Amino acid sequence: MNLSRSFPTQEIGSLPKFSWRTKPFRQMRLEDADLVSAKVWGDKLQVPARDELLKLLSKRAGFTEEERLAIVDFSLLYAIRMGETAGSGLALRQGLDLVWSGEQARTEMYETPVSNIGGFEFIGRVRSFDNKYWRMASIRSPPAYRNNYHVDELLFTQKHTRRKVKVPVTDAITIMAWSDNHYYTSKWAKEKVSPLERSFNARREFTLDLARIIRKVIRELIARGADEVQIDIPAATQYQSREDIGLVAEAFNETTKGLAATFSVHSCFPPRVGYGMLFPEILEMKKCERFSFEYGNRDGYGRGVSDEARPGFADLKLFREYGYQKGLGVGVIHIHTDRLPSVDVVADRVLYSAKVTELDPRLLYVNPDCGLRTRRPEVAQSMLDLVVAGAEKARGDLSSA
Amino acid sequence: MTEFKLSLTGVHARNEATIQATQDWERGRIDSKGLNAAFREDVDSLVALQKDVGADYISDGQITVAWQDFLTPFTSGFAGVKKGAMVRWYETNTFYQTPVVDGEISSSGQVIWRRIERRLTKGGRFRIALPDPLTFSELAEDSHYGNAERLLFAFAEAMNKELRTLGEKGVEYVQFSSPALVARSRRKPLTRDRLKQLGEAIRTSTRGTSVRTGFHTLFGDASPYIPQLFDDIPTDDIGFDFTQTDPDSLAGTRKGIIAGVADARSTYLESVDELRGKVERVLERTGSRSITLAPSSDLRYVPRVCADDKLRRLGALRKALGGR
Repeated sequence: MNLSRSFPTQEIGSLPKFSWRTKPFRQMRLEDADLVSAKVWGDKLQVPARDELLKLLSKRAGFTEEERLAIVDFSLLYAIRMGETAGSGLALRQGLDLVWSGEQARTEMYETPVSNIGGFEFIGRVRSFDNKYWRMASIRSPPAYRNNYHVDELLFTQKHTRRKVKVPVTDAITIMAWSDNHYYTSKWAKEKVSPLERSFNARREFTLDLARIIRKVIRELIARGADEVQIDIPAATQYQSREDIGLVAEAFNETTKGLAATFSVHSCFPPRVGYGMLFPEILEMKKCERFSFEYGNRDGYGRGVSDEARPGFADLKLFREYGYQKGLGVGVIHIHTDRLPSVDVVADRVLYSAKVTELDPRLLYVNPDCGLRTRRPEVAQSMLDLVVAGAEKARGDLSSA
Repeated sequence: MTEFKLSLTGVHARNEATIQATQDWERGRIDSKGLNAAFREDVDSLVALQKDVGADYISDGQITVAWQDFLTPFTSGFAGVKKGAMVRWYETNTFYQTPVVDGEISSSGQVIWRRIERRLTKGGRFRIALPDPLTFSELAEDSHYGNAERLLFAFAEAMNKELRTLGEKGVEYVQFSSPALVARSRRKPLTRDRLKQLGEAIRTSTRGTSVRTGFHTLFGDASPYIPQLFDDIPTDDIGFDFTQTDPDSLAGTRKGIIAGVADARSTYLESVDELRGKVERVLERTGSRSITLAPSSDLRYVPRVCADDKLRRLGALRKALGGR
């Protein structure tokens, strides 16, 4: 998709969940502060029918299943409005060009698909970093399609925004990489091949079986009106051999085979060697119209558009070196800290990206590094404000240059 | 006669109670005292399990917040090093904060000692895994030394102070974990000269200490370094991740072998016969007189119950192998 203006804006997927959204599912009683939060944010975001939510939440505990689902729907509305009003905190009234409902209907990007695909069993929590964990599932039999786990949130989101909608879908590589590959490892354990070949074959077979299921999910989303699909591959850089990077592209192509939509790819937090490890194989993702990677994490907070001022964005040069002509989404906000860059620094990051990639600015999207689910709502909102304001300033600087 | 030993090889998984405690602590539902109690119970249960399965060395699992990532003690405890961007840790869904070297690296010699369960060192047999100098220097962002060799040896010198303290305090075994040597993505293996240089850095780290040492290669295939690895790295044992390295690629050596035969990144529980088959191939190829049965890497990449099952299965393997 090619929007008509320079530096279109988007978020990557997840937004934080409000306490009034999570507590009813943990059987926790709502406190005054939770209700105040619903009121204050509802007013701030001008969420339609928010009085109904406040009335519902006033029950505080003992919500029925139907009521809990109604609360989830409201959380989708709040998230949509966060995207639509992004920038207002900095006196701008633009909002994001591409919006989504913040993955509010999902447990999170891994747990939701594996809960809905057959063959998985949850086996316990594993630490990712610091005190952050994910609930690992183990594949015990070939994965099987059970139901479309995104269609309801897509329909709801489409109904409640007039903006362009982008639906994020977790890809096969990531589900494979974050799962315990029990079934395929045991299947390949006794094969008379080298250890490297054995483990790769187990990964590949698992991944491609998953890709075919995810294709079915996306096909239905497209049939129900989705035309922007972001394939989320945070684990693209997890396995690092040439064969594994080839598999990332193969899995994407298998997933999107026969489908017609605008596909983009998001990845983040590569190893120290950076995104260079993905080249040139990722350019074989034939239907990918845009790569959205995280760069803010590795960048400095000073101003400037020189190589020295923008070390976090050095990998962008790879796209130019390989003659890449399609779209890019540049992550301009580090999402694992509350520290915020200034609008000027965000604008510099955008302008530097435009300079080194030499892409048409209409193909250069501006976004946070990754989903914002780990941040508090007020920080997430400030980050989205910065995305909008930084892109706006960059547009102004570009036109006056 | 080959002696078979049993040991963990790095950071262990936290148990569910500890996981919950860390989350409760972050949300202000328990205080630091409550969190520390959870860690203590967790460590105690891990130590009991190691004793139960007949482990020759005892590890505290390196599970506390002092080891939020494998480099945390250095990014938070070494002068000249600070925390930088969050980056993926090799072929895992785990992350670390980049060590940013912006000054002369130095250590008080107490950095590691203060971050281990010191009470466990009194009974001897305490074992700890630390990053090798190559891994630290390759993962660091250096704006001070401007030279890989100088950075390598600066870290090695600081580590020497640490190892001296550990040796004096009764730590018996230090394992240098070296994913950087073998998990090189598309980069070429180290040249022989650089491998020798790494050997010198290890020698620098261990100079004047009495601890027994191992050098474990994990997350990659070590076969490009066979047999020179045995000659150039001056540790008592050399370790291999046999989910990556083919045992048939090994060569004869007088060194001990850390045999990472149990796949630490899958809950697929190998049978004793399957594991024994691998160990016998290792023995056949190396003729080593000391083989330490071990998981292929840290066991933090699977849930705790699965990690413990892996350790129990290694215990059964040791029993089956006897003391041949």
